[in-house]
Parts: sequence; C-alpha cells; structure tokens
Amino acid sequence: MSGEVILEIKGLNKHFGPTYANKNVDLKLRRGEVRGLIGENGSGKSTLLSQIAGLYRPDSGEMLVKGEPYAPHSPIDANRHGISMVMQELGVVGNLPAGVNVFLGRTGQFAKGGVVDLNALNKAAAAQFAKWDLPMPPLNQLTDGMMIETRKMIELARALSIDPDILLLDEVTQSLSLNNRDKLYALIRRFKEMDRAVVVITHDIEEMIRITDTITVLRDGEVVGEVRSAETTLDEIRMMMVGRQVSGEYYRADMTPTYSDEVVLRVKDLSVPHELEDISFEVHAGEILGFCGLSDAGIHSIGKAVYGLSKPSKGTVHMVPTDTDIHSAPQALANFMGYVPKDRDNEALMIHANIRDNSVLPSVEELKGKAGLLAPRKLSRMAEGIRERFSVKTTGVGQTMNALSGGNKQKVNLGRWLAKDLKLLILDCPTRGVDVGVKANIYALMKEAKKDNIATILISDELTEVLGMADRLLVMKDGRITKEIRRDEDFTEQSVIGEMI
Amino acid sequence: MPTSVTTPREKRGLKNWQFILLFVAAIAVILVAFHLLSGGLFLQWSNVTGILARTAYPSFIAWGFCFLFACGYTDMSIGGVVVLGSFASCILGNWFGLPGVILGGLAVGMLLIFINFLIFTYSGIPSWIAGISLAMIYEAIAFLLKISNGTKALVSTSLAMEYRLLGQLPWCLLLLLVGLVVVFFLYNRTTVGLNIRALGGNKDVAEKLGINVKKTLLYVGLISGVLIGFACFLQQSYAGQTTVKTGLTSINIIFQPLAIYLLAQIIQKRINIVICVPICAFILYSIFNFLTMVGVPSGTLQEFFLGAFIIAFGIIGSRRVKGVVK
Repeated sequence: MSGEVILEIKGLNKHFGPTYANKNVDLKLRRGEVRGLIGENGSGKSTLLSQIAGLYRPDSGEMLVKGEPYAPHSPIDANRHGISMVMQELGVVGNLPAGVNVFLGRTGQFAKGGVVDLNALNKAAAAQFAKWDLPMPPLNQLTDGMMIETRKMIELARALSIDPDILLLDEVTQSLSLNNRDKLYALIRRFKEMDRAVVVITHDIEEMIRITDTITVLRDGEVVGEVRSAETTLDEIRMMMVGRQVSGEYYRADMTPTYSDEVVLRVKDLSVPHELEDISFEVHAGEILGFCGLSDAGIHSIGKAVYGLSKPSKGTVHMVPTDTDIHSAPQALANFMGYVPKDRDNEALMIHANIRDNSVLPSVEELKGKAGLLAPRKLSRMAEGIRERFSVKTTGVGQTMNALSGGNKQKVNLGRWLAKDLKLLILDCPTRGVDVGVKANIYALMKEAKKDNIATILISDELTEVLGMADRLLVMKDGRITKEIRRDEDFTEQSVIGEMI
Repeated sequence: MPTSVTTPREKRGLKNWQFILLFVAAIAVILVAFHLLSGGLFLQWSNVTGILARTAYPSFIAWGFCFLFACGYTDMSIGGVVVLGSFASCILGNWFGLPGVILGGLAVGMLLIFINFLIFTYSGIPSWIAGISLAMIYEAIAFLLKISNGTKALVSTSLAMEYRLLGQLPWCLLLLLVGLVVVFFLYNRTTVGLNIRALGGNKDVAEKLGINVKKTLLYVGLISGVLIGFACFLQQSYAGQTTVKTGLTSINIIFQPLAIYLLAQIIQKRINIVICVPICAFILYSIFNFLTMVGVPSGTLQEFFLGAFIIAFGIIGSRRVKGVVK
C-alpha cells in the first residue's frame, strides 16, 4: 500500500423507507489496498458499494475521491471518476451479444457517422479479456443462454474496460468455479501491484482473509469493526458479524460415510449432448452425494439432467422407490424429487411474485381440495409455516421475493422443498450469495434431511462445502465422472483438486 | 492468452450458413410446388411481381414491431394510426400530388406513434392497455373524418390513380430495399438500436449502465413512427383506399404484419430479424396467393392455413437451438 487515501467516506447515511441501510459509515481506502466488506445478509454492504458506484445517492454524508468531493449521480459518472463495480445481481442483457455487453451504454465511442463499428467494438472487448487475462466468451454470441460464470466474466470485463482506479466486487467469486476464481485472485493482486484499490464483498470468510489486506465488518448498516486480515481469525470475524460468539460446526464433524443401503436414485450411462457423457451413479437414502469440478466440467448439468430438464441422448434416470424412469420435471416432482438450481433469481424463483406463491408452488398438487381448487387460507398457512420454520426475515408472506435479501430468498427456495415429503433433493450451489448465518442454517437443514433419510445430491463450486458435507464425492472433468472418493478415504482438497485439473 | 469459454449453444449441430442454405432451398421447393399445384400459374412473372408489390407496406409495419417489441412495449393502436395516416396520404395526395402522398402518411404516422410513446413513457399505463384505448380514439377520429356515407363501413375516397406510383413496382420494391438497409443499420449497428434492444433485454441493467430510458423510448416512438408513416403512404398507394369500422376492427390491419414479425422472430436466431421480415412477408403472401389460386376461400380457411403454417414454421425454426442457463 502506498498509503495515499484514494477514497474517503465520512458519515454516510442511507434509508430505504423505514430501513436504515447505512448508519454513519466512515471508511478510508488507500492505494494498493484490497479491502473486504463483510456482514450478514441485509447488513448494508451492497448498499454501501452501490452508493460508491453511483447507483444510489446517500441521504447524508460525504465522499472524497483523491481528496476531491465525490457525489456520483450515476454509474457512468462513477466511471468517469475511475470507479467501477461488478454487482451481485446486475447481469447482462441477454438479447445482445457478449461484445456489445462489455461496452453497453458506451457503444457511441465506436460509432462513425452514426453506425457502430461492431468489429472495432469486438476487438476492443477482446483486448479487455486479453489484458486482464479473463476467459473470453464468443463475443458475437448473445449472452442469453451463457453460463452464470461466463456472464460474470463479461460483467468483469465491462467493469475493467474503464481502466478503474477503484474496483468494487460484490459477491463475484461465488459465481465462479475454482479455476476462474484463481484468475480473479490474480487480477486482484495485479490491481494491488498497480497501486490501485479493490473492495471485495464475499460471504466466504476464509477467502476474504486470504485475499484482502483489511476487512471492514458491517452489522445492521453500521461499521462495527475494522481489522487487518493478516491479524484476524475466522471466529473473530464471525463474532463481529453476528455480535455474539458463533458456536457449533458448520460442516459435519464425522469422517465416516453414513447412509443406508437402500438405493433411491440410479443413473445409468446418461449422456446429454455437449454436456454430459456416460454418467452413472447411485444415491442412497440418507446419503449426501457431492459433485465438484472446474467450469465446464458439467457438474451443473447433472442437476438439470436428473430432474428431467435436459434431453439426454442416451441413458436412464431411475427413481428406485417408485420404480420410475424420469423423463421430465413434472414426473420428477411427482416422484418425490426436489431441485434447487444455482441461478436462484432466473431459474428457481418467481422474483416478482410474493413469498406465499413461491412457497406453495411445488406443493399445489398436495394442497388441492376435493374439487381441485386451492384454498387461499391453506396456501397462506403453508407459506407462514415455511416462513417461521426457516426464519425468513420479511414483513409477511405477501411481500414480493425481489424485496428479500439473497439469504432470505434462498431460505424460501430451500424451505419450500423441505416442507414436502421428499426422497431426493438436488442442491446446486445452495449457499451461493448467502451469509455465514444462513449458510450454517442450510448445512443444519441438510444434516436434518440426512437424518430423515432423504438422499441429497450436492453440486457445488465450493470445494470446502462438498468436502464438509458429502458422504461420497464424484469429481467431474469434461462432462465425465473421473473419480469417486468416499468420506473415509483421501477426502482432502489437494487430492480432489489434483483430479479436477 | 486468455482461455475461451464455450457454451452449449456454440456447439449446436446446424451451422448458420447451412441453415440459410436449407432455408433458401426449402423456399424454392415450396414455390415450385405451388407453381405445379396451381397449374403453372404461380411463378408467372405477373403473379410474382404482384406478391412482391404486396410485401412492401406490411414489411414496414413489421419493422416497426421489431423496434416496439425489442424495447418491451406493445402498441395495439398501430392499425388505427395506419388508417388515419392513409387518409392523410389520400387527402393530401389528391391535393398536392406525390409529395402530398408521402408527407401525409409520414407526418400522421410519425406524429401519432410519437404521441403514443409519450403516453407510454410518462403515464406509466401498461402499453397494451394504453394502446387499445388509443386505437379506439383513432378509430373514432377516422369515423368522424369519413368521406363516404355509402355504408356503415368507413370508406375513404380513393387516391387518384396517377399518385399511386409508390405502391407499384419497381418503386415499392426500391423503397423496401432502401428501408431494409436503413433499418438493418439502425437496429443492429447504431447506439440507439443497441440501447433499444438493451431496454427490452433487461431494463434494470440498461438503466444502471447509463442508458437514458425515457429518451430511448422516445427514440422508439420516433423510429417506429417513421416506419409506420412509410407503411401508411405505401398502403394507400398500393390499395388506393382504406376501409375500417369502429369497434377495434383497425387491429385487423396489424394481424398480417404481426404474423410476419412472429415468423421472422422464429428464425432470428439464424438470420437477422430485419432481413427476415421481407423474406417472411414474401412467404406469407405467397401462401395467401397460392391458396386463393387453388380456390381456398379467403378469410376463415386461409387463416386456418396461416395459423398452421406459423406453428409448423416455429417448430422447424426452433429445432436444435437451445438456450441453456447454468
């Protein structure tokens, strides 16, 4: 760190109606510094970054960039001051090509006589991917249909294309697989070497301690502590975040695979064109079967294929207790399967509908009355039950999903399945974008499901998560299963990474 | 060197050039089949030119839809606007000749569509609701302006034959080609075109990336207005008169251009939608023309075939194109 303060925030306040999102926040960011922002879901981290990035205007307080007063009225204005941000939920525009998305809002710089030179634009976009050593997507292809990870890389290239002095990263790493995380870490180090600054939000405390110089902890919108990353511990951060000692283990403490002999799901020779090849495995009652792999390994296609959302070219997905081959999602649902996809907002939840409708959706068949009608009182009762059981922080079940924080959305997403009588639950990155408290909650629920003899397929980009929870782990590469490791074997990060690479 | 990211979509079986080749071949086969089935009448030069002349004005309306739907809006009043624009084209054409034909249609088309978008942008009313209300207003105005009282239907007086030049070949085809080039660049290669598409793709992202939503919407009004304006005077020049009743019947006018847009949308994953529009218009009117030739009654039965054709086209066009979100 050179020591020169590049961004200073003094007494920043922000309200959203009755919610006090940021209370008198003070922060000093220096050149060459990587600052972590951590706190529970709803603690005001994203709100703070959004104000720095010009998305929201503070109610009061002051910001200074390089000693000059700074009050951005838009993200473009923030860009002009050398600040750019990759947002947690922003995304890309699906009906425009990847290259255009990198310069969206600034395509005018490639216009000659009113016509945008797409070749020049794509060349400039490619140069950004090359400059920052990011994996390049097909630039002429529409982003609609691209993986979350690819879309995140496009957003990253977009943020970097303004050559920022301050880069704000809100929950970026959790969308990335291990190999691309390494690229992001290298990028952060490079920023540091260039004497620029990075502010990172991540719910992975270990990762935060590893990649940052300093960590600011927020609770209920207030800064409750600032520590040097090299001098702090995981427990200290957790305690600062929640305001009390966090007890108990996140993950399983045992190292023995414990599940019954009863096979719940049998997948045989399953192939999905360009995604999966000759996949065979079994999942037992009470077992947590983990899947891990690098990007494009095909792990996320497993969940879709098993739940009947893909069209396999060959192979079978057989639900043993009901003796049924699964070919479609409704069939999967009727055969006691549940599926929590990775892309929560686009694939799992009806984001503009209320909590009640989202909560009851997988259970409407069971909730139907004799005449086939749904009684509103019954639906509300079930939704209320989920809200209470899973401690969803909300004003009521009539609140729309998009008003909830990521963690609370995930509670609804997961809770609605656990409220059902399931034999198999497929979880694809269930803790993506949730805080330490919700994570612990989700792991506890997984343990509870295991106890209830529910078979679980856990697909995750977080290696520690699958190692911490799974009875068996299937490592994938290029759409194939390359290795099976049991919990009582060489169940370590090193051995798994070796297989993944 | 950065590694590249591949997606399942990239790996789809049929390459675009193969699809285009197959598509052109399929059209050729269908046209030859029509020719044979119609006893050698269909591909006669006079018949083909007739179809080509008919494709011009619906193509302009369908291009207008491209911009409208791209930004996520719907305008049900376009039929009413075409009626009023055609009236203006007819009246001013008969007064001032060819310049009057062009100016009348363009001015009314542009003005009314721009007014529509002012209302959509600033009122906050869903565009399809506001559009229906506006369609009723425009129909009522047209009814008040009716020139002939011969029937309950509103029948405007005809445009003089000497001023119908732009609706005939080669002029309408020339305008169609110029329109194709201009609209292609506007939609695909200009900042405003990209911003319009960004708005329909993800309004929140567009807004956060500094795209001025209201200004962009007004641009949509302006661009669509010009295109509908062209459609107005081309329609009047082609048909010579415009007929409409009240009771939202003006919406009928947009059904065929809407079908053209839908067909174009189906194959836009392979061929640019702006290019697809006149091709699909030609296919559509070829089918109508053939059905008429073989004695299929116009109206219900022809519409049955049109509906079935769109479904079949959709199934074939969507095959092997899959958007996977992981």
